[in-house]
Amino acid sequence: MQARMAGAALYAAPVFLFLFFLIPSLLTIVWSFFSRTMFWMEPDFTLFAYVNFFTSARFENFLWSIAHSSISVAICFVLGFPIAVFVRRYVPQVAQHRVILLFILPFMVSEVIRTFMLRPVLGRNGLINTVLQDVGLTSEPITSLLFSPTGVIIGEVLSFLPFIVFAGFLAMEAVPKYIFEVCQDLGASRWRTFVDVILPLAAPGIFAGSVFILVNGLGVALIPSILGGPGAVNAGLIATQAIIALDFPLAMAISAIMIFTLLGLLWIGHRLFDLTRTLEPLS
Amino acid sequence: MQDDYTSPWVIRFGWIYLLAIVAALMVPVFYNFYISFNEYGFGAANYKATFDWYITVFEDRLLVNAFVWTLGLAVMTVLIVIPMGLSAAKLFKQLTNKVWLVALMLLPLFVPADIFASALLVFFKNLNGMFTWLSEMTGLGFLSTWFELGVTTAVIGLVVYTLPYVFIVILITMGRYHPEQTEAARSCGATAWQAFWQVEFPQIRAGIFSACAFVVILTFNEYTRTSMLKGGFDTFTTVLVSQMLNTGMSEQSYAMGGIVSAVAIVIIGSIIIITLVQQEQMARRERAVAEPGSGQ
Repeated sequence: MQARMAGAALYAAPVFLFLFFLIPSLLTIVWSFFSRTMFWMEPDFTLFAYVNFFTSARFENFLWSIAHSSISVAICFVLGFPIAVFVRRYVPQVAQHRVILLFILPFMVSEVIRTFMLRPVLGRNGLINTVLQDVGLTSEPITSLLFSPTGVIIGEVLSFLPFIVFAGFLAMEAVPKYIFEVCQDLGASRWRTFVDVILPLAAPGIFAGSVFILVNGLGVALIPSILGGPGAVNAGLIATQAIIALDFPLAMAISAIMIFTLLGLLWIGHRLFDLTRTLEPLS
Repeated sequence: MQDDYTSPWVIRFGWIYLLAIVAALMVPVFYNFYISFNEYGFGAANYKATFDWYITVFEDRLLVNAFVWTLGLAVMTVLIVIPMGLSAAKLFKQLTNKVWLVALMLLPLFVPADIFASALLVFFKNLNGMFTWLSEMTGLGFLSTWFELGVTTAVIGLVVYTLPYVFIVILITMGRYHPEQTEAARSCGATAWQAFWQVEFPQIRAGIFSACAFVVILTFNEYTRTSMLKGGFDTFTTVLVSQMLNTGMSEQSYAMGGIVSAVAIVIIGSIIIITLVQQEQMARRERAVAEPGSGQ
């Protein structure tokens, strides 16, 4: 009896997540078909929330936010993945995890602080413009760094770059070190080694990291609302604005679209790359 | 790890690049500290170092209350999420088909804060309606407040948010533990609890304390879920964001940002230093066993 209870206790976390994560996430579909009342919503089957989303300027803004997030994914990959390769390739085995720990530090400082503090860093009288003008590289402040798509992309890259380093490093742990030496012995150039050997082997981690950045770029409202200026929105901001306007079915329709986009991407990734491979080093 | 083919400059450049990226990621944080210590605030022509803005934060009763609330939430979340993360990691070790567990445990990491907070808010509003109806039907008045927005709902939101991190940290630590030791302890007559507490726990203690630290930091950092699910009280970050959005960045806001950043940096820095010291001590002990008389 005691052993059975102890065995059941092991399922506490999955049961909790089933109740308070999976069920609310799946119910967003049901609620998205409800009709709006003055302060709440009532059971119905109407596509009004979806029509409202897809036929308004919100959808166009959503598409723009997909474009911005895709650019952020590409920049994060270009800047962050070489770090994962470098650590795996050139840092001694015992020190690799310590080096990766360095990226925990910026990641663990509040995203709210990091995002808000980009205002005084990127602004007209901010740190970047002051330094550029002081060293004589520009004569006037660059105003497009803040309250613009550039500001949103900079914010997303600074917020999410550590994830591509973590996911990339986990993926690179699945790449045996001798692979680099074999490639060199066979005369492969760095580029061919990277494209033909490293990328396919590390694909699950790269994909997981990229999906994380893309979906969070679309869903974290703080970045466009602080750095994007007027008109800059993403799915997260549209959903929170809908909640503030008490349009709960619209908020749920956007949440459902986001959650199922995420699940779809992860399913495709799993079919293509077997995403459980990224967790092999953990087990 | 240098080989015959690699120029030392490749490695030097790699290190410079890596450290430059870490520094770039930390620029907003350090700039926050720099401004928060200036008596004249952001954009002033002069700089005079002062702690005054930090003192004003701790003299403000509203902010101290918010700080206490945040700490309370962090403690409650730790007490719930750590046993859950530990049991999930043990379940992971036992299962042969791990895919469903990994998917369920890690999915909350991928769902953006605003999207999930909106879904959970509507879920709790529905649940609250159901429980209010249930309390009217059964006459059990206490049921009506179970899922009202407040501490319970905020803690549930924080548990869902922090559970994946705790799971990963504990799983990594447990990866170094050999389950044969538990079997040996049980064979010697230890109860399941004794085998865990006296044999396994001492070996995974570092991971559990790190997980506790992560939960405290994440609770202090968290804004979206807490602000949507908290009900009537304020946390440190919700006060900070509301100040920043409504009145703009004041000197006090920079000092509050400095406090939140300092909490994270001190905790994470301590974990990194303790980990490095422990690894070094372990390596020394192993060297002493492998090479007796080597003076180690």
